[in-house]
Amino acid sequence: MLLEILGLEVRYGGIRAVKGVDLRVDEGELVCLIGANGAGKSSTLKAICGLVPVHAGAVRYAGADIGAAPVHELPRRGLVLVPEGRGVFPQLTVDENLAMGAYARGDGEVDADLEHQYETFPRLKERRSQTAGTLSGGEQQMLAIARALMARPKLLLLDEPSMGLAPMMVAKIFEIVREIAARGVTILLVEQNARLALEAAGRGYVMESGTIALSGESSGLLADSRVREAYLGEGA
Amino acid sequence: MDVFLQQVVNGVTLGAVYAVVALGYTMVYGIIQLINFAHGEVVMIGAMVAFSVISALAPSGLPPLAVVLLGTGFAIPVCMLVGYSMERLAYRPLRRAPRLAPLITAIGISIILQHLALMIWSRNILAFPQILGTTTYFVGGAAITNVQIAIIAICVALMGGLAALVYRTRLGTAMRATAQNPQVAGLMGIDINRVIAATFVIGAALAAVAGVLYGTYYGIAQYTMGSVLGLKAFSAAVLGGIGNIPGAMLGGVLLGVVEALGAGYIGDVSDLCRYGWIAALMDVRCADGGHFILFGSEYQDVFAFLVLILVLVLRPSGLLGERVGERA
Repeated sequence: MLLEILGLEVRYGGIRAVKGVDLRVDEGELVCLIGANGAGKSSTLKAICGLVPVHAGAVRYAGADIGAAPVHELPRRGLVLVPEGRGVFPQLTVDENLAMGAYARGDGEVDADLEHQYETFPRLKERRSQTAGTLSGGEQQMLAIARALMARPKLLLLDEPSMGLAPMMVAKIFEIVREIAARGVTILLVEQNARLALEAAGRGYVMESGTIALSGESSGLLADSRVREAYLGEGA
Repeated sequence: MDVFLQQVVNGVTLGAVYAVVALGYTMVYGIIQLINFAHGEVVMIGAMVAFSVISALAPSGLPPLAVVLLGTGFAIPVCMLVGYSMERLAYRPLRRAPRLAPLITAIGISIILQHLALMIWSRNILAFPQILGTTTYFVGGAAITNVQIAIIAICVALMGGLAALVYRTRLGTAMRATAQNPQVAGLMGIDINRVIAATFVIGAALAAVAGVLYGTYYGIAQYTMGSVLGLKAFSAAVLGGIGNIPGAMLGGVLLGVVEALGAGYIGDVSDLCRYGWIAALMDVRCADGGHFILFGSEYQDVFAFLVLILVLVLRPSGLLGERVGERA
């Protein structure tokens, strides 16, 4: 088991955004966490990365409790988040953004990895000397993912990668996510686009108002009448 | 002698020092949006430490240049330590506090540093031993000394070095990344506290050199020297666009030139005897080529703050603006 969350609680002031979530991700899996806006999906991811404090419960990654680990420690251990809204550094060039992705690494293969990213994302290669702020939304999302891959993640957390993108680009991003998973990177994918997420993932969790409402194999969830009604836009 | 050219030479010399100090303000602002009002005091401490070392070594018979370099060599690490300590002890605990809290803390630190300096170096104006021989060159009607040339050259080298650090190195890229999005910078594995501390330390090292240059240029140092100098450098940073590194360099030099030209001409311009009808009213004072000067060159300091006010009113983002990128 690569990631295990037990009884996670996150609070903002007096408000409980996450109310006791249990979740696990095994090595090599692509797991999705779906749910409506405000269900607590992003808060769960942020708590895993230490961006918001863990109020109660445990976050275990690769056998160690990381509930209190400083944010910048996690990439060194192979846990990397692609944040919601992409979070590229707008005034750094594409090259510099990717170099920052490898900041935590001390090995000599960074340049080779950089070229590898450019093979995967030729659009980024064309724009390698441009500042990231000049890229389109889809290109920025590719950059955010490529930058995370520069850290050579064992576990990649993706927070709403399809948000705000045109349908063509959404399909492209999901294709990329599948490719990354096929290369053996474990992925925890948070998405509002439930159908695409479940189709890509092996297992899924459905979050509702801070708790896990449903979980199981993606095929089962796709067939579940409650999921179909609430998240796939199909009438009962 | 050509007044205009002479004042430009003097202004560029002074402005180069302002620019180096302004970099400290603008780098810290860029990374944590704090106006570090104690930065001027770091410059003062640099000058004071150098004064002590140079005074102690001046009679030793060492070559004068070596004495000055040793003074600078002591001032830099002392100032770096001061810069690190203020960040670590005063600002870091306030990282998540409302912005007013660290700002007021900065003013407090400024007062503390001034009074520490008062206790160590007394309230007197300290005269730097004039050990460097001055040679004056005349270029196109203006005089320039070897000290001025050295000051300009050192400042240009410092600015070039800083630009290389910020735009060409891993630490510099991490500094810019942290300035643009500290949360994501942390997610990339950047220890943002270390990057912020490094920013303070680098700014303080620049301030130390600026303090030595300023002290050597004017030949004096006093525990209060940092406040006006600091405010002027801050004005220079605002003129260039606070948070913008090339802006601080441009703003510093421009401010120095404006100030020097202002000081050079204000006496002439405010001489009431130049204006016919007023002169007629005051024929006693103005007779036989007399003068009635309202504002003398002691009003030099006014110009920096006039510039500050004008920038804040007309173009608050400064000449080069704070380049706010798209946050998609």
